[in-house]
Amino acid sequence: MGTQAPASKLTEQVQQTIFRYSLAFGSVAAATALGLLAYRWDLEESVLMFFVLAVALTSWYGGLWPAIVAFTVGFLVFDFCFTRPYYSLVFGREDVAYLPVFALISGLLIWFGTVRRRVESELQESRDQLEKRVVERTAELQTANEQLQNEVAERGRVEAILRERANLLDLTHDTVFVRDMNDVITYWNRGAGELYGWTKEKAVGQVSHHLMRTIFPEPLDEINAELLRTDRWEGELIHANRDGSRLVVASRWSLQRDDLGNPTAILETNNNITERKQAEEALRRSRDELEVKVKERTAQLSKMNEELQLVNKELEAFAYSVSHDLRAPVRHISGFTELLQKHAKPVLDDKACRHISMILDSANRMGTLVDDLLAFSRIGRVQTKTTTIHLDKLIRSVVAEVAPDTEGRKIAWRIGNLPICYGDPAMLRLMLGNLVSNAVKFTRTRDNAEIEISSVNETPEEVVVFVKDNGVGFDMKYKDKLFGVFQRLHSQEAFEGTGIGLATVQRIVHRHGGRVWAEGSVSNGATFYVALPKPREVKQ
Amino acid sequence: MNNLKRILLVEDDPKDVELTLTGLAEYNLANEVVVVGDGEEALDYLHRRGKYRTRHNGNPAVMLLDLKLPKLNGFEVLQQVRADENLKLIPVVVLTSSGEERDLVRSYKLGVNAYVTKPVDFHEFVNAVKELGVFWAVINEPPPGSVNKR
Repeated sequence: MGTQAPASKLTEQVQQTIFRYSLAFGSVAAATALGLLAYRWDLEESVLMFFVLAVALTSWYGGLWPAIVAFTVGFLVFDFCFTRPYYSLVFGREDVAYLPVFALISGLLIWFGTVRRRVESELQESRDQLEKRVVERTAELQTANEQLQNEVAERGRVEAILRERANLLDLTHDTVFVRDMNDVITYWNRGAGELYGWTKEKAVGQVSHHLMRTIFPEPLDEINAELLRTDRWEGELIHANRDGSRLVVASRWSLQRDDLGNPTAILETNNNITERKQAEEALRRSRDELEVKVKERTAQLSKMNEELQLVNKELEAFAYSVSHDLRAPVRHISGFTELLQKHAKPVLDDKACRHISMILDSANRMGTLVDDLLAFSRIGRVQTKTTTIHLDKLIRSVVAEVAPDTEGRKIAWRIGNLPICYGDPAMLRLMLGNLVSNAVKFTRTRDNAEIEISSVNETPEEVVVFVKDNGVGFDMKYKDKLFGVFQRLHSQEAFEGTGIGLATVQRIVHRHGGRVWAEGSVSNGATFYVALPKPREVKQ
Repeated sequence: MNNLKRILLVEDDPKDVELTLTGLAEYNLANEVVVVGDGEEALDYLHRRGKYRTRHNGNPAVMLLDLKLPKLNGFEVLQQVRADENLKLIPVVVLTSSGEERDLVRSYKLGVNAYVTKPVDFHEFVNAVKELGVFWAVINEPPPGSVNKR
């Protein structure tokens, strides 16, 4: 197209040129024809007028140069046809008269046509410019319009998003509202409505602190200063809802700023922590009460402790004096009765002798009782020493100790692997001694006694040893009575004893933080288990 | 009061005294015993003062000392004996009803030579006393300055 456009323009120009010069020749030809006609009808005065008209016509429609051509050709034709000598180009007297008139009029016409054309072309030009500007302006307007439409669409989308977000904010149970820098509420979500009881319509436009009768934890000026400094603030506020009930809320304020950084609004998010605060308060109150109680109880306990220590001291003094003073008379009874028996035997009858032997028996029993009781009470009083104890060594020496009591008896000792434990050597020795001598005692009626000492079920926390015999056993319904002081399950005639041995065992085991229990049945032997806690340091 | 005895028995209970002497009599040691009833009297005897001012010079070969005594108790007597230049070598055996460990420990800390708990059983008691008497008064070689054996 770009190459064709100038070509077509050129063709147009050529055509126009041909038209203009054709017009020049045509109009002259027409003027000639009309002149000839007028001449025939003796109107030769008007002939020149036709040529003037031809020039005028050519000048009007054809322009300067065709007009000059028309003038030149027209005058030649006029000279040739209508002045004497006719049909000759000889410039006669008549021509001298016509030429200036023709030339003058033609010149005027040509000048007039030229001016007209110039004016016309200027007009055309300015009209073209105007059109161009109109087109430009139209294009500008078009663009502006499109921009505007885009903006409108964008705004619509943003509004839709905002509406959606606002709807989302409405969904939350949290209380969210926005207030401007004068604390006038501009947005109020559903959560706020639910918490405070004010509808959006009522709340928006109100001054928030007035509406909710806010009580601040610190002066509002300081809060606002912090908000402006850091763009946020957090704290607990006390609000009132529509009913006037007080609420405690955990409040978070965020400052919104415009593009220039000027604060424009405050977003306030509040969580109702009234119940939590009440619970905390209740907790604090009950903790305070508890503390008071603990203090009271501690005071009571320390008083009791003092009393207990006093009692303990008295008990210790008592035991000490028992140790010194109670044994002496027993010893005296026994001793002098013995002497009596020795000296008076010849004069005493059998009955008297039997009575004396009963006195001796009782005195000895009394002595044993006193000794056992002292040993028992000592467990509670004596400080335990804790060292590592090889139970297998200990049990062997305990078994060796009871050997005198087992003379003439058949006892199968089965001593298994025994662990290392941790405790007071003297006490554990006493404890095992009691268990072993019990086993020896209660298998007395067996022709073939069996006593097994071993360990079972070792856990990471404790070692468990047991002493098992095939003796007379016991009824499991009395298992709780076994370990009580002075509790006995057999008569003195069947099996002698003070009823302190197992109580001593239990006391020792408890002092070591362990457990003791028994299993057995009548005539089928008994097994005594002792579980002792393992020390943290001596893990096997 | 003039004859020298090898055994000093410090015991306030006359019954215990009698039983002890019964035990010692079995080895004819009863005559070798001086009995004092309290701690003060024991020190008087050892220092030869008061009613013992006139006794002959010489320390007993052994002192059997009860712990629970009127006036000065056994520990105090023991302490003073061990602190005295002339008496500190005397063998002292505590003969007491108490089997309490603290009494035992305290006695040994004060430098006792032996500690015997009086057995409740008469035979055991007699045996214990008898053996004590024999060992300390007969078998054992007492330190210099003690009463000689007969």
